[in-house]
Amino acid sequence: MILNDLLGSDVRDSDGGRLGEVSDARFALDGTPGQLLSDARLVGIVVSPRTAASFLGYERLGITQPWPVAQLLRWWHRGSFLVLWEDIARMDPDAVYLRPGYAAYEVGLQR
Amino acid sequence: MRKQPPPLRKPPEVAGRLLDAQLHLLDRQLLDVDGVPVTTIDDLELSGPEHDEPIPEGAEAPRITALLTGPVLGTRIFGGRPPSNRLIRIPWSDVAEVGTVLRLGVKGESLDALWVERWLRDRVIGRIPGGSHDPE
Repeated sequence: MILNDLLGSDVRDSDGGRLGEVSDARFALDGTPGQLLSDARLVGIVVSPRTAASFLGYERLGITQPWPVAQLLRWWHRGSFLVLWEDIARMDPDAVYLRPGYAAYEVGLQR
Repeated sequence: MRKQPPPLRKPPEVAGRLLDAQLHLLDRQLLDVDGVPVTTIDDLELSGPEHDEPIPEGAEAPRITALLTGPVLGTRIFGGRPPSNRLIRIPWSDVAEVGTVLRLGVKGESLDALWVERWLRDRVIGRIPGGSHDPE
């Protein structure tokens, strides 16, 4: 699968209701150790309710400067959430369908 | 009408470093083991699943198999993407470091991504008088 086919797709729940668009895909370097780096495993997709475009990840990184830009971009991406791979039921060319009873997680990259 | 997701939970802890594709990988510069620029990363190839096929519960998560680069300028302006056979693959197993740039653990000379530069060097630059040796 090519990642850009996934980015920007609609995200729908099991009833077909639209939740937003895929704005990013999150990977974890915790797969099988390779010669140089571990495999990058798909953790889940970041869903943004308004726009698939993401600018510098303000909504995910806790960056607060410059203040007006940070406020604007946080407001623009409000309501973004992470859906784990386990909750994805199907990936069609135009939409990603989630399983019934899926869980939504906070989108921040901070630990 | 847009539906609301359920209340947000704290994400589960993972052992390894987290990378968001758009933030940390796509459009980053790629350097080879000697620090020579190779290309920029236009796309990623994942190990599955195929479109339109239901994903069984408990299916293994896709992995990044390769970084992709190729002629994407036109499709970025006008939409779509080049056919996958026009994209050049750089295996993820060759990636050594992910930072401000991505570094490979191999020499760029061995990669398909640099075939245009090699072709120009051998067929054009090398045939210009004085083009095949260092300046004296």
